[in-house]
Amino acid sequence: MGDKQLIISISREFGTYGHHIAAMVAEDLGINLYDRALLDEIAEENGIDAKHLEKYDERPKIPIISRKVRGHSNSMEDALFHMQSEFLKKKADSGESFVVVGRCAESVLKGREGLITIFILGDELTKLQDVKKKFNLSDKEALKKMRRHDLKRKAYHNRHSAVKWGDSRGYDLCINDSKLGIEKTVELIERYIEERTRG
Amino acid sequence: MLTAQILAVLIFVTMFVLVVMDKIERHIVTLACGLMTLVLVFGVGMQSMSAVMETLNLRSIFTVGFWYSVGAEESTAGINWATIIFIAGMMVMVEGMAEAGFFRWLCMKLAKMVNYKPVPLFVVFMIMSAVLSMFIDSITVILFLAAVTVELAKLLKLNPVPMILAEIFCANLGGSATMCGDPPNIIIGTSLGYSFADFVMNTGVIAGISLIVILVYFYIVYRKALIPKDGKVIDPATMPNPKEAIKSKKDLAISVIIFAVAIVLLVTHAMTHLTVAFIGAVVAVATLLTAGKDAIMLLKKVDYKTLVFFIGLFMVVGGLEQTGVLEVIAEWIGNVSGGNYKVMIAIIIWISAVASAFVDNIPFAATMIPVIKSLAATTGADLSVLAWGLSMGTDIGGSATPIGASANVVGTAVAAKNGYPIGWGKYCKTAAPATIIVILISMAVIFVRYF
Repeated sequence: MGDKQLIISISREFGTYGHHIAAMVAEDLGINLYDRALLDEIAEENGIDAKHLEKYDERPKIPIISRKVRGHSNSMEDALFHMQSEFLKKKADSGESFVVVGRCAESVLKGREGLITIFILGDELTKLQDVKKKFNLSDKEALKKMRRHDLKRKAYHNRHSAVKWGDSRGYDLCINDSKLGIEKTVELIERYIEERTRG
Repeated sequence: MLTAQILAVLIFVTMFVLVVMDKIERHIVTLACGLMTLVLVFGVGMQSMSAVMETLNLRSIFTVGFWYSVGAEESTAGINWATIIFIAGMMVMVEGMAEAGFFRWLCMKLAKMVNYKPVPLFVVFMIMSAVLSMFIDSITVILFLAAVTVELAKLLKLNPVPMILAEIFCANLGGSATMCGDPPNIIIGTSLGYSFADFVMNTGVIAGISLIVILVYFYIVYRKALIPKDGKVIDPATMPNPKEAIKSKKDLAISVIIFAVAIVLLVTHAMTHLTVAFIGAVVAVATLLTAGKDAIMLLKKVDYKTLVFFIGLFMVVGGLEQTGVLEVIAEWIGNVSGGNYKVMIAIIIWISAVASAFVDNIPFAATMIPVIKSLAATTGADLSVLAWGLSMGTDIGGSATPIGASANVVGTAVAAKNGYPIGWGKYCKTAAPATIIVILISMAVIFVRYF
């Protein structure tokens, strides 16, 4: 991929293999993966317990228990979003190449040279089967879980981004991983990255 | 009239819910609801053009009494332009002070004076927060103080959260001491015709006693957190120099002079008969004239959204007032208290405190003013005592939760942005008992002094 900085932002629907795919791309490219684990780095930097932050990760703020005054929000979810955004910007400023899962990275890092934004979606039925198997749930429970998580991700994303979550106009590449499977999806993404970084 | 009353209540409830939901910016909510009040309540429900004119209240600005008032003069119903002009004027002055580096310089100077020792620093910052908030809006005070606290705490290897929480509480407490310290007090003062001195002699006394108790309280609960992590003694030479905060010595001197003039004008306004609207206009004009080419920039920094929020809010409350809904609430309080003034005061303080802990205290205070006016008129209760109860309840009640007052939101937001998130549990653990202590002190002082 050369010496050029590469920032791959991967957003995903719940029940897809988005996270797994992001990890494989990061491994193949030999670059860091920033996902939920970036909470550990933020917590360590600020001397906070990471467990304390987890419950606010990638969640929309609860309006009744927080307020905004002159642009200052005291929502814990907004605070964590701010900390994660600052962390990602710092990493991007340092010239480091990395893959980041979720966290509105495609909006936070918008305009950076080397940013490639990807959205991974999946067929409802395939996602349902995978969620059922992974969490040992009934059809109804799995569907409920998928809906709940996607709603939260959507609300979280749309609060911090001008582009709607999953809207193809907001991403460079949108892929249905149910059609190709994990390996082929990774291959496709890596081929796309290669084309983008050529020359 | 019933249709108008129902519409007024519906619009008011919608406004409150939308403000709490925080989906739409609150100034848009109040302005839209205010316009709906004019059209639906006054136009469709009451079919009264005079109600519209009274609520818009524009004529009052062009009267001499608006700028120069001999004797206590109560403002008419509707938009309280005196509050808006005063707040706008103070905003311009505060922007000028901030631009000159006054707040950061003051924080750093005081920190240096106490040799950056954690306990004296903790006490000095609490007192400074209370004193500054007596004259300047607590948002600005906390915005600067919390930022400097985080910066110093990092260098001193301390957790800044206890200090920030104590500063927030003291900002709200200091704000309750004067007429211009907290928006509910400005609205109460201008609506009911009380002076700066009236507030200082009444709520100021309560706030002063409470501050002493609260200093001891916060020291006891946070004394362990004030011990530096590595126990090292800090060399003051390694700390930031207060002079570095000053952007221009000349601008700093001018802003301090204007600030001093504002304080003198406020303290003496009952004697000079200059109204707060006049004082607000004078400090704004003085700041802008001395700012030179920076005047435009200062004007751009004024928080117009808050001013629009106030205008919309007064229109919605005007709807409740004109339709007589607030008289019904006053009647209810009068009935529940059975004509017992002590019970009446207790109801006002505690309802105001509990409500202000969860909803913005500004709309609450604006709504309650006509209520206590009506209560005093119908039951013969002393309006000023009800006003002090309302003031302490709304100003202090807001301290109990992270969303109760603007200073709490800004303080916790600054802490969070710097990597110190403060949740409800952490906030309320110390702030809620402190709020209850001050509310009890307020009740005790009011009962002992006025009954």
